Amino acid sequence: MIQLKNITKIYEINSREKVTALLDINLSFKEGELIVLKGVSGSGKSSILSLVAGLSKPTTGEVIVDRKKISKLPDNFASIYRRDNIGFIFQKYNLLPSLTVTDNILLPLVPLNLDTNIAQQKLERVMKMFHIEHKKDTIVKNLSGGEQQRVAIARANVNEPKIIIADEPTANLDKKLSLSFIDILKELKGKNKTIIIATHDPLFFNLNIVDREIEVSNGEIIL
Amino acid sequence: MILNPEVLAIFILNTIFIFFTIIASFLSIKIALKWDSDATTKLQYKLEKQSFLTATIIKYIFIIKIPLFLFFIFTLDKISNILPGAMCGAGVVDATQYGNYLFVLKIINLYIFAYWLFLHNEDIKDENQPYTKRKFALFGTISTLFIGELILEMIMFSAINPTSVVDCCGTIYSSTASSYISYIFQLNNSTLLTFFYFNYILMIIFYKTKKKYLFAFSNIFFLLLSIITLILFFGTYIYQQPSHHCPFCYLQSDYYYVGYLIYTLLFTGTVYGIASGFVPTNKEKEKKNLKISLIFNSLFIILVSLYPTIFYIRNGVWL
Repeated sequence: MIQLKNITKIYEINSREKVTALLDINLSFKEGELIVLKGVSGSGKSSILSLVAGLSKPTTGEVIVDRKKISKLPDNFASIYRRDNIGFIFQKYNLLPSLTVTDNILLPLVPLNLDTNIAQQKLERVMKMFHIEHKKDTIVKNLSGGEQQRVAIARANVNEPKIIIADEPTANLDKKLSLSFIDILKELKGKNKTIIIATHDPLFFNLNIVDREIEVSNGEIIL
Repeated sequence: MILNPEVLAIFILNTIFIFFTIIASFLSIKIALKWDSDATTKLQYKLEKQSFLTATIIKYIFIIKIPLFLFFIFTLDKISNILPGAMCGAGVVDATQYGNYLFVLKIINLYIFAYWLFLHNEDIKDENQPYTKRKFALFGTISTLFIGELILEMIMFSAINPTSVVDCCGTIYSSTASSYISYIFQLNNSTLLTFFYFNYILMIIFYKTKKKYLFAFSNIFFLLLSIITLILFFGTYIYQQPSHHCPFCYLQSDYYYVGYLIYTLLFTGTVYGIASGFVPTNKEKEKKNLKISLIFNSLFIILVSLYPTIFYIRNGVWL
């Protein structure tokens, strides 16, 4: 379903300074797989996520999702691809703190101009799924860390994306909340979502729901 | 040399345009030569980024150039107040040997730029960007015309001598003029008007039968016939003077700036009409372009035809 072919990613800081984040890597992820990308900070995990999400383009090589060459898409089409296919869960949640839970979750639906009833149905479905409906009118900045993350997960799923991308999702959570996040992952995997998590949290290692653990080191895949 | 605020603004803008056009032109040629949409190489990804930047530069140059064309005409008109003998922009255009060439070049460029914008819009609508090579090759070629126009414009304004007496439009647009303009006065009004309205009827027929190429060609003829009939026939009814044929004077406040409306309708209608034949697009967009063209051309016809009609109703005679 997702293929990364001969990917090299070099960040040009300036004309003299270059950072090689990924070096000629080849990877493929099947539909419904839960993949953990592990490695230390700066190893290239987030670069892989950003390429799969169409947020950045490789320096060489190509990214193919469902036979579509994502890395070749012009920016406006890459945005549409992200809107329709990707759900993001960020380390710092990236919620809008002055808006309510409802408004934050509804945000990805705004560009779709959906009928109000359909948007409402989608909202209620994810709020129920991630147990946040009792906080629907609360301003996000007044929520606890765990609640904020549930809002972030609900927002990532409101558009029913096929691929969920999570970058260090438990970095700001205590163990109890991290375990609760893993329960949510089980639920999402049950819905046949392809989930790619970049983490160095040992809680994710050797988990029975994880299909594959891929170690990334210095921009290369360690087999 | 005349250096009033309007000319100064044109000089500054032209300098900026030349700078950006040279950059865009250099990148356009590079993209046109090396673009390979299937490649996943470092060069291709770099070209993809550069194509976005280049297209943005070109798009904004062209978008600014369209209203700037009207500003150029406005400037000519304003300069005519200080140029001895000139009554309108026509005198300023005729004041130097460069004016007429510049004016023709400006109109040609305006149509080429409009074509480029249409092509660019079609290109970015498709995720495979099928016209990228073509549009940048085109810009690489036409950028010389564009830079030529900008330089010619600056030369023209620099060459104007505010102390020497120039011809007024009454002399320039007459059968006794020393330029090629006198040739059009040998044409017969009735024959010309027959061709003008017949061409419009053909345009409607081509629209109804969806013959896009013929529609585009009829628009090219319509543009030429419109300019000639405006000078020879319709202009005289706007001025209500049988011997006044100037295509500039009705841009002035005495005629409620109607010239701007006339030329905007004509330009928009013919640009869409010509584009419908020469820009590859889907059926829906093609239909829309044809429709817009016909609407604007019809509004143009109605507007210019109203002047002689009203004159006849009021006075019972033709000029």
